[in-house]
Amino acid sequence: MSNLSRRDFLRYLMTLSAAGISTYLSSCRRLEPTLIEIPTEGANLPTEAPRASTPPTAESTDSELISTEGAYLAVARGKAAGPDELTRRAIAAVGGIERYVKKGADVIVKPNICNAYHSPEYASTTNPAVVAAIVALCLDAGAGRVRVMDFPFGGKAQNAYETSGIAQAVESVGGEMELMNLLKYKKVEIPNPMALKKTEIYGDILNADTVINVPIAKHHSGAKLTLGLKNLMGVILNRGTLHANGLHQSIVDLSTVVKPQLTVIDATSILVANGPTGGSLNDVRQMDTVIASADVVAADAYAATLFNMTGADIEYIRLADELGLGSMDLKSLNIETIDA
Amino acid sequence: MKASTIRKFRPWVQALVFILFVVLLVAAGRINFLPSDLFFRLDPLVGLAGMLAARRFVLSMFIGGLIVLVLTLILGRVWCGWLCPLGTVIDWVPSHKPKPKEAELDSRWRKVKYFLLGLIVLLALLGNLSLIILDPITLIYRTVITAIWPSLVAIVSGAEQALVGLPLPGLLDAVVRFDNFLRSTVFPIYQPVFRLSGLAVLLFVVVLVLNAVRSRFWCRYLCPLGGLLGLLSKVSWLRRSTNNHCIACAKCARVCPTGTIDPKKDYASDPSECIMCLECAPACDKNAQEFHGYLAPALWQPYDPSFRQFLLSAGAAVTVVGLSKVLPQNKRTQPFLLRPPGAADPEFLSQCIRCGMCIQVCPTSGLQPSLTEAGWAGIWTPVLVPRLGYCDYSCNACGQVCPTGAIPKLTLEEKRQRVIGHAYVDRNRCLPWASGRSCITCEEMCPVSDKAIQLEEVEVLSSDGQLTTLQRPYVIQDRCIGCGICENNCPLSGQAAIQVYTPTDLGISLPW
Repeated sequence: MSNLSRRDFLRYLMTLSAAGISTYLSSCRRLEPTLIEIPTEGANLPTEAPRASTPPTAESTDSELISTEGAYLAVARGKAAGPDELTRRAIAAVGGIERYVKKGADVIVKPNICNAYHSPEYASTTNPAVVAAIVALCLDAGAGRVRVMDFPFGGKAQNAYETSGIAQAVESVGGEMELMNLLKYKKVEIPNPMALKKTEIYGDILNADTVINVPIAKHHSGAKLTLGLKNLMGVILNRGTLHANGLHQSIVDLSTVVKPQLTVIDATSILVANGPTGGSLNDVRQMDTVIASADVVAADAYAATLFNMTGADIEYIRLADELGLGSMDLKSLNIETIDA
Repeated sequence: MKASTIRKFRPWVQALVFILFVVLLVAAGRINFLPSDLFFRLDPLVGLAGMLAARRFVLSMFIGGLIVLVLTLILGRVWCGWLCPLGTVIDWVPSHKPKPKEAELDSRWRKVKYFLLGLIVLLALLGNLSLIILDPITLIYRTVITAIWPSLVAIVSGAEQALVGLPLPGLLDAVVRFDNFLRSTVFPIYQPVFRLSGLAVLLFVVVLVLNAVRSRFWCRYLCPLGGLLGLLSKVSWLRRSTNNHCIACAKCARVCPTGTIDPKKDYASDPSECIMCLECAPACDKNAQEFHGYLAPALWQPYDPSFRQFLLSAGAAVTVVGLSKVLPQNKRTQPFLLRPPGAADPEFLSQCIRCGMCIQVCPTSGLQPSLTEAGWAGIWTPVLVPRLGYCDYSCNACGQVCPTGAIPKLTLEEKRQRVIGHAYVDRNRCLPWASGRSCITCEEMCPVSDKAIQLEEVEVLSSDGQLTTLQRPYVIQDRCIGCGICENNCPLSGQAAIQVYTPTDLGISLPW
């Protein structure tokens, strides 16, 4: 080593210091997202849903919104119209997309892309045509940016985006697929939780002007069904502990913080067994139905009826209703059914 | 062109080949312009031993190995001096060059590489590949994929985290864009972790630090591939020689990185030890060196392998094989010997060249180097460790990149049918079974279309004395493929309450 030249010495020193500096940088901050405060009741949350008409709850005194047109919940169904047409009709019936998407708005569409295993006909991921129709509507309404994202639990997100057909469909209408980056999650403390006290939520979901929740209606043995409220689990990082600490309560806790402005449930094909992963066409039923509402609880309660259940049969829907997050009492709601 | 001019290209060729090595490594399985396993194909030792042990002809390895063998027959050990990525790294670290009066290391040390070569080849003949881990390409590949690259991922991710914390507008977006680019091209989504990464680095560092004893210590004395190419170089065409212009100034001997220029023999060199680096060319200012073609074999040196040494290798090989028969693994299957889909012991042990490509392409880092599962004879062969990463139902990459076919090339549909193992619920720890708390994570995750994990509904007394319904998971063994996503996601800390075991042929096990 004695014959190490000055130039070589400097070269090694530079390599070492570059490595040293980046290692120091990487260790000087704990690998943990920052805690952000969510304002409690009364405050105007950035993701507060505009009500299409009054739900039968105590806070329903906003006369301005009552006067605006549109049903509280819309159901478009029929074999003749494709998923695209059904989606457009349902959204038109709840007041049209302009109601939820302002000009220049930053819109996030959250479908269910839970894994990279199966093509769309297996009904384990949201129908790509439904997602694309929503993206196209948003862009037509003058949205500044429309991003589509989910964090699959099985396989890589990139693969899942492609296998589900959603990436191709979204990009063909000018939308943007976003990989949910670990750097963007923010630790959030949930006010008055039943089970979920703190969790890491994708920051952009909290900051977007409009979040559109686009689940597919399907079977789930733990929760019975996975619908709109449960689809929101895709925006948090640590889902394992949710299952062990009261799944239903945690789903509802999360929905007090993450409030999509519009929920569009894809029930064009539904998965009736072996969900949420699926994989057998024997478990798929074609329903040719799309449900839209600003009230995720109502949309979920309606979707449950497609499986011969009611909202009250699904614990997270019942809990969300009890908490006043929405209404599962379908009889009291203004529902418009469109047979297409 | 003069030898001293050609020599100037060597650092550049080395750097370019090394970059190619890293590119192929990082992008393994995702590029088309060159085979990802190019360096393993070119490595004739891996090809020879791999084919001998597996009793199987692999065309790609045969052609690749042949290219390097023919190259060696023409130009000598240019592989070592110009192409080998491990040799390149060894050249990059500072090395000790002996002073003129310093005693040369006993040249009999050079025999070690022939001993190892003989041992590895004879072991392969007996169906044992356990010492192929000493091949230079497998050695550097494994070190980079299990230790150096993952460390780089950690350091870059950490620096990104730190940057994101700075209060600068637009910084988050820029860093995220950069990170997304990395994650969608070369980096995995999550930080990969690997067993034996420390041991791999230790071996690697020892190889490099030996440079402080003598330059290119590994290449002169130890490298079994160097031994193979060295033997062949005895009859290589291009060789260095000295002529009568030589004034015995010893400048050439001083710069020779393998120390083969011998002052006692008129500064001649042994083509078996010469790595064709041409460092000696500019050192000589008397035009006393020539590089010419020869057809007669070079002189046999005292340190070259002898028949007795061959017998020693044979004895060692028999001993190693004998010892490998004493492993408990031969009597009882180890509980967690989960091989990549389609691979099964004992055949796998004779086919796997321990290169680590499957480990590199596994998207969840579930494939890990084995330490104990297959005994020492299977060290660094891949095993699935579901707690660290599951076998992705939408992935069949390991079989696609395996250079020897030890992991069969399966279509995604075929791979989904292959049984890696069977999951068993540990009812003493499982939340619903042991603690009366609801949890269905394993069932939810199960990717098989008729779920291998089912839930039985029971009425139980909760801790406050009330009757509640609870779903308890159980496994239908003949549906389970052992992908391990259940074990991976079990929310218990430490060991999971559902674990994948080496498959058995018991058939259906009942839920009670």
